[in-house]
Amino acid sequence: MRPPSPEDFRSRLRSPAVTARVGLWLGICFGIAFVTGLVSHYAQNVDHPVPFPAWPAWGYRVTQGLHVITGTAAVPLLLVKLWSVYPLLFRRPERGLRQLVLDALERGSIAVLVASALFQLTTGLLNSAQWYPWAFSFRASHYAVAWLAIGSLLVHIAVKLPIIRRALTSDVESTVDDRPTATEPGVLSRRGLLRTTFLASGVAVLAVAGGTVPFLRRVSVFAVRSGEGPQGVPVNKSAAAAHITDELVGPAYRLEIVHGDRNVSLTREDLQAMEQRTESLPIACVEGWSAGAEWTGVRVRDLLDLVDAPSGRDVDVYSLQPSGPYRHTVLQGNFADHDRTLVALALHGEPLSRDHGEPARLIAPDRPGVLQTKWLARLEVSP
Amino acid sequence: MTATRWGLGVAGAALAAYGAWLAISRGHDHLDLAVWLAGGVLLHDGVLALVVLVLGAAVLRLLPQAAKAPAAVGFVVLGSVTLLAVPVLGRFGARADNPTLLDRGYWAGWLVVAGLTVGAVVAASLVRSRRR
Repeated sequence: MRPPSPEDFRSRLRSPAVTARVGLWLGICFGIAFVTGLVSHYAQNVDHPVPFPAWPAWGYRVTQGLHVITGTAAVPLLLVKLWSVYPLLFRRPERGLRQLVLDALERGSIAVLVASALFQLTTGLLNSAQWYPWAFSFRASHYAVAWLAIGSLLVHIAVKLPIIRRALTSDVESTVDDRPTATEPGVLSRRGLLRTTFLASGVAVLAVAGGTVPFLRRVSVFAVRSGEGPQGVPVNKSAAAAHITDELVGPAYRLEIVHGDRNVSLTREDLQAMEQRTESLPIACVEGWSAGAEWTGVRVRDLLDLVDAPSGRDVDVYSLQPSGPYRHTVLQGNFADHDRTLVALALHGEPLSRDHGEPARLIAPDRPGVLQTKWLARLEVSP
Repeated sequence: MTATRWGLGVAGAALAAYGAWLAISRGHDHLDLAVWLAGGVLLHDGVLALVVLVLGAAVLRLLPQAAKAPAAVGFVVLGSVTLLAVPVLGRFGARADNPTLLDRGYWAGWLVVAGLTVGAVVAASLVRSRRR
């Protein structure tokens, strides 16, 4: 048995005319996912040389919803695109040293592109379902490989640009750059295959987008959350998983506000006695689900005023949870001073349930959900 | 166009190099990362692509002419959406302490999608066979 060669694949559907058209949409999806991913990565950084905006409040919700939606749409696009170029995998290297080197370089860049594209879609999908069957850090790896993917995509476009231009500027039935043996009609027309691919992407998006687009909830049969939960809002990390005990949130509970040697210690009743504000702010998770909610509590700025904290200072936020990467986070100055940033005591008019951060949690506009610290213990103004 | 291509190529190589540097310097468990990067390509090129080739050839030969195109459409839609649904169908990330995660009836949902797809394929096939 001899290894297959490109000539063995005869369908005229496996043509650059198809590849370039699917690739165009795939590239758009990857571009949007890359940019929205950078937004989220920056929002989660501690240092913000350029302040991350606290406005609009729904900004993070929309960018992360787009991130997951474009990633989902990319799955059928990538599969069909790879199908359309599969014969080229069996291409024989050309003769001559120069050709050999160029061929090896191109194949190498495509290997990196395919590996990183499949990696990004797979790990992103698994992360949204909170399934981590690997040892590496999801955030660090998904971020690093994003640069690999977008870089090798640009190299790929540079290499293929003449073919892409010819394909996109001529008719879909054009055979200009087809392999000589790719002449047999498929069961679908080229247009039919393209429409099928876009249909599959559309169905895929509808099947998951309800996790972040409320009116799609009922049709999104594969959304990682139904949108239900205690007090009508889903939970990302439960009190049990964070090791929050009755004792920690019992009568001995205090919220400490610290600024240098100034120190105020507040009970639940003290917090309830302060001026209460109600804000409608979404909770939006990196995993692509989000929910709008109405929070009531004390403005963070009012609390900082108790210890005479100057404006513009970052605030170290500590949770009662004994361990975990989000036990300590930083609330940047522009968020700390924002009128809509609250220490929430109630959700939809009822005291916070334990899983939503009882007795007090942070909620700020336009921020990643993981930084909306639950079970607040201490706010410490940085020097 | 040559200038555009060189510009894109050099920029792309620089971004990819930055990604590789990030993966090596900031990451940990490099072996696992490499396995997942290479594993995706091997699974696609070596398994998935072959399964699609064989399945496509076999099923299309068996089906009546009028059903071939609708079946191909149904296969692309249902196949890719099913792949996408693997993490939720298996509920691998479910946690006993958090009932709000992975809280839908995913198999029921899959059956609905599959039923609608198969129904549409059969209906389209019937319509096409009558037209002939």
